[in-house]
Amino acid sequence: MHFKFFFNEAVNSLVRNWVMSVAAIVTVLVSMFVLGLGLIMFFNFQTAISDLRNKLEVEVFIKNTASPDEINGLGDEIRAMPEVKDVGFISKDEALDRLRGSLKGHEDVLDALSGNPLPPSYEITLKDPQQIETVASRFFDNPIVDNTPGTHDGVKYGGETSERLLKVTTYFLIGGASFVMLLTVASVLLISNTTRLSIFARRREVEIMRLVGATNWFIRWPFIMEGIFTGMVGAAIAAIMVMLTNRFIIESVVNKMPFLPFNSEAVPMFWLVLLVVIGGTLLGSVGSGLALRRFLKI
Amino acid sequence: MIRFENVAKTYDPNIVGLEDVNIHIERGEFCFLVGHSGSGKSTFIRLLLKEFEPTEGSITVAGRNLQRMRRSALPYHRRNLGCVFQDFKLLPNKTVADNVAYALRVTGQPARAIRRKVPEILNLVGLGDKMNNLPDELSAGEQQRVSVARAFVNHPSLLVADEPTGNLDPDTSVGIMQLLYRINRTGTTVLMATHDREMVDKMRKRVIALEDGKVIRDEDKGLYR
Ligand SMILES: Nc1ncnc2c1ncn2[C@@H]1O[C@H](COP(=O)(O)OP(=O)(O)OP(=O)(O)O)[C@@H](O)[C@H]1O
Ligand SMILES: [Mg+2]
Repeated sequence: MHFKFFFNEAVNSLVRNWVMSVAAIVTVLVSMFVLGLGLIMFFNFQTAISDLRNKLEVEVFIKNTASPDEINGLGDEIRAMPEVKDVGFISKDEALDRLRGSLKGHEDVLDALSGNPLPPSYEITLKDPQQIETVASRFFDNPIVDNTPGTHDGVKYGGETSERLLKVTTYFLIGGASFVMLLTVASVLLISNTTRLSIFARRREVEIMRLVGATNWFIRWPFIMEGIFTGMVGAAIAAIMVMLTNRFIIESVVNKMPFLPFNSEAVPMFWLVLLVVIGGTLLGSVGSGLALRRFLKI
Repeated sequence: MIRFENVAKTYDPNIVGLEDVNIHIERGEFCFLVGHSGSGKSTFIRLLLKEFEPTEGSITVAGRNLQRMRRSALPYHRRNLGCVFQDFKLLPNKTVADNVAYALRVTGQPARAIRRKVPEILNLVGLGDKMNNLPDELSAGEQQRVSVARAFVNHPSLLVADEPTGNLDPDTSVGIMQLLYRINRTGTTVLMATHDREMVDKMRKRVIALEDGKVIRDEDKGLYR
């Protein structure tokens, strides 16, 4: 009903204190932008992890010292497993050919190699991705598999890579969350400081409002709106920047470095933008609410 | 209209503001509150506004006990109690009309009522032609008229004035005094704290004299003395 009054008061106050307002807007912007970026990364890793999990392949590398009989024996063993759909044998020469193929234009680096250091391998395709761990683990202790002692790096399967990626994501999440937390606290403090300044700048108005019988909420609203505006403006800019980043930067990264597990469509952008805007608005109202509690005695 | 019963107010490190005050002011009365500086006049008025609580006793305004009043009811109490101060308390960046309108706006009155009431009250105080001036462009007497207009625009049943003529020369003071008298004649109770001996003696209204926080004299048609 009195929205226009509150709106005008809040905007006037923002303009009057524009340096502080801009500082507060920028901190909200940065904190919400970092939150958005973090979530983009999170969703991308998440997608990459589930992609890897769904890969049906296990690669088993075989020691160069293994005899042809041992290699064939392993092949028969694999073919006998009920979970296996298909098995392919990659000989040392085929492995080298593949490497040469992936080095198009730079084949000369291979000339430096003496002989062929690449191990032969079996490529196993499974019927069901759920069984990948079970099948892979059968090769961990096999003496002819090319494991570095103490590990099982001779067996490559999606699960393993996805475990590693999951670990990275977790560190990333913890780091990102603490950073966002820090920025959030900073924005709340800055917004609360802008509100404090505008309470001070408008102390005559506040005194008169009290004197003529304005209700407490009527006195508080313009200040709260000021905080909410600050938060919303910062968050809106952050949301736009998050969208642009996802649209253009992630896409160009993917184009240049296709081996990175990024994908601009991995992100539920609508929810992310909503979260960023609501987050910023919340920061704004909490910040000004804090200042009102401390500095506006009613 | 106003009833003080055994009211005492002590400020923090044992400074007496008011002590053992028993006063009853009827609806429609015009009443002066006089006394030396520091005698407790402003304390009396601030108690009426419920800016703070008395240390002892009870205060009733318009039939409502201020100590039992809920915090949420305080704004409505103040709407029924216009007040005018020595320093006018106008907003320097708002025009005369906006200053008066502000009081109506922050009490949630509709825009149409505001558009009607503001020129009406400014004409009443004789500032119909200065509505769009800023307070700086007005004389002190005119500024005080604006503040009286703001206090009276809601037609409160009680108008209190704390040394409203304290910053004005004698002629201008007479003008403000006449304005308050006119307001009193509409049935509004008026309580005015003042140092202005001449004015009090000329008006011959009820005089309550304070000294060191105590009522030392209370007489109808009294003099300043
Ligand atoms: N906020 C306060 N804190 C402490 N003491 C106060 C406060 N306000 C007033 N006093 C003291 O209370 C006493 C009464 O003060 P009050 O302001 O009521 O006097 P007054 O009659 O209005 O004086 P004046 O004519 O100068 O305005 C004085 O001794 C004053 O010093
Ligand atoms: Mg005083």
